[in-house]
Amino acid sequence: MKFPYGPAPLAILIIAVLTGIALAVWGPLSHAPDYRPPDLVLATFVPEQAEVYHNAIPEFEKQNNCKIEIELVDQNALQSRLQSALQVGADVPDMVELMYGTMGVFTKGPLEDVGLVDLTDKIKASGLYDRLVTNRLSKWSSRGHVFALPHDVHPVLLCYRRDLMEQLGIDINKLTTWEEFSRVGREVVKKTMRPDGVPEHYMIDMQSDGNDTLILLLLQHGVGLFDAAGNVTFDSPAALDVVCWYVKQVEGPTRISFPCGEGQNFAKAMIDGLCLFYFCPDWRANRIELEIPSLSGKLALMPMPAWEPGGLRTSTWGGAGLAFTKQCRNFDLAWKLAMYLYYDRAQLGPRYAVTHILPPLKSAWDLPQLSESSPFYSNQSLGKVYSAMAPFVPEEHDFAYNTIANGKLSEAFTNASYYYKVHGEDGLREYARAELKRCADHVRLVMARNVFLKPQPAQVSEASGK
Amino acid sequence: MSESSIAKRAPIGWRLRSRSTPYVFLFPYVAINLVFFLLPLIYATVLAFYQTNGPARRAYVGWSNFTFVLKDADFHKALWNTTIFAIFSIGLQLPLSLGLAMLLNAKNDRFKGIFRLAIFAPNLVGQVFVGVIFSVLFTPRYGLFNRGLQALTGWGLEQQWLGDSKLVMPAIIIAAMWMYVGFNMIYFLAALQNVDQNLIEAAKIDGAGPGNIFLNVIVPAIAPVATFVVVTSTIGSYQLFELPYNMLKNNGGGYGPSNSGLTIVGYLYQNAFTNGDLGTGAAVGWLLTFIILIISLVQIRIVGSVGSEI
Repeated sequence: MKFPYGPAPLAILIIAVLTGIALAVWGPLSHAPDYRPPDLVLATFVPEQAEVYHNAIPEFEKQNNCKIEIELVDQNALQSRLQSALQVGADVPDMVELMYGTMGVFTKGPLEDVGLVDLTDKIKASGLYDRLVTNRLSKWSSRGHVFALPHDVHPVLLCYRRDLMEQLGIDINKLTTWEEFSRVGREVVKKTMRPDGVPEHYMIDMQSDGNDTLILLLLQHGVGLFDAAGNVTFDSPAALDVVCWYVKQVEGPTRISFPCGEGQNFAKAMIDGLCLFYFCPDWRANRIELEIPSLSGKLALMPMPAWEPGGLRTSTWGGAGLAFTKQCRNFDLAWKLAMYLYYDRAQLGPRYAVTHILPPLKSAWDLPQLSESSPFYSNQSLGKVYSAMAPFVPEEHDFAYNTIANGKLSEAFTNASYYYKVHGEDGLREYARAELKRCADHVRLVMARNVFLKPQPAQVSEASGK
Repeated sequence: MSESSIAKRAPIGWRLRSRSTPYVFLFPYVAINLVFFLLPLIYATVLAFYQTNGPARRAYVGWSNFTFVLKDADFHKALWNTTIFAIFSIGLQLPLSLGLAMLLNAKNDRFKGIFRLAIFAPNLVGQVFVGVIFSVLFTPRYGLFNRGLQALTGWGLEQQWLGDSKLVMPAIIIAAMWMYVGFNMIYFLAALQNVDQNLIEAAKIDGAGPGNIFLNVIVPAIAPVATFVVVTSTIGSYQLFELPYNMLKNNGGGYGPSNSGLTIVGYLYQNAFTNGDLGTGAAVGWLLTFIILIISLVQIRIVGSVGSEI
């Protein structure tokens, strides 16, 4: 019989039918005969963590007679797919590690719409509030409800080129306030100025458009993008102080910083000693050690200078949290797995040895692995220096409008920075105040449009157990 | 023998199959367009009048999304940035593309093929890669661009192209020029190769110089292609997103300091996917469509009338 539409459509039809059959048959055949579907799926975006979990999982599987699957997914893909899947009820992993700054995306709507399990009662009942650095819970909370377990603390220290410090005769013990740090920085820039008008060394690596380094300084000064009730706070007097100080470090004749960026540029800048100091949370300390081995023995860590004598000498930058989706098939097993991976002392020692990330479980800070000295960091014990600062890390609140607030803060900062470049210090404070107010009002306007999310201040204090 | 007589004699099944054949061939195209174009278009129209919290929850807000966007300073900034980019894309890229096409169209050039490939090649890379490459080239102190400037002029080593709100757009325009000049050149080259050589010869015999030949013979001949290139370049410019987003990923979260690299599609992405408000995103999408439609119609009219006058 002749196919009525000709040989080409017939060929396409045959290929389509064969492909369909192959796919239908291949699915079941692709699994080994003893294939067992996983009891739980945990998705993470951090390759190092996925590796650590892979090594730890067999023991857990043996103890609990279960099968756990660890999926490594790109952070952007994880966030966007999870966000959409949760809202339409599509398939999602049982447990998900979320990146800092993304919690607000999942908790933007009414609480009943949040696709993650509310862990508040469970955390209270298990006594975790007392055992963890409680300030870290605020990062994973919304309107008084905790939706993820903190993986880390990420205190920030300053990493510095010890060898260059000795060459330049800088006494780090005197760098206790930002004012003094700035003064010494100006001397360094002046002293190392080349004939072409470009300094050999800058004092510190700071982003020229604010962003992460500006925010960590704001947090150190006790102010974030939002307060616990979800109010925009980056136009407060404390924020204004930080912005005005920061502007003078990145622009004009008082400039002491250079934006070293990330990756290869950052490595090159460190190797060249372009900047003497770098903001360094624990995750970055590990990355520097892995990626720039040539600096072994030349680096050391010190607490951040404070805003006023005797003030807070640390901040926080980054973080991950473990959330349980409402579609989690076995919550009890998932909780057990979370406790095993996150807060089991036996697991945390080896994990720290690989990642150098300080766990938020206070009782783990005396583990032997945390006391080991690091030849890379001039024989300092990273565990000791970071855990000394960990109890003091400032609270940070994540809201749905984090990204937009971040962008608007950066806009106000950039405009203030340009003003300083053109007009100098005259009128800077007034201009910066007006810009911060304008940008904060924009965020307030956008937030006010949200018909789904109305802040409920009465519930807020529950988040951190206060 | 006429077709109608054949049809009369053919069996009824065959006649039915013959009549249905075009529809069967059309069906996949129509079905795909219906599912992936028409239905989303209708849904986007509806969505523009709702505020959403992801795809699951929505609330009717009337024209509020449109009024918010039209009043929003960020949208104004995005519109301004995109328009500046579009103007420079057309004002710089197209003359350069035409110039390169004319150079390559010159006869007796043994390396024509190699040059054509070299100039076109950046377009094969894709906006994401070009964005990443140029973000490295524009790095202060270590970037090739800054090193080159320093070597040539003694200035520019520390220049923060992507960290300075005044220099972000020039940097994006340079990157886009590198990428698209070759692409547009191919269109112009094809048009130039189709210009009737007899007309050029006749103009030469009549004593016309190169300028006169270019204006009175070549330009009218390539006017339809030029119109097409201008319109598609404008549409492409107004849809700009990946290039600045990837170039500025480490500067202002993809939009540059003070939103100096924010484009209309970037603004749409920010609202729909970062803020999770698909309704506002849909409203921005419709406004963008409207803007592109108006500009394209005006351009077709202007360029068309210029072509016909010449």
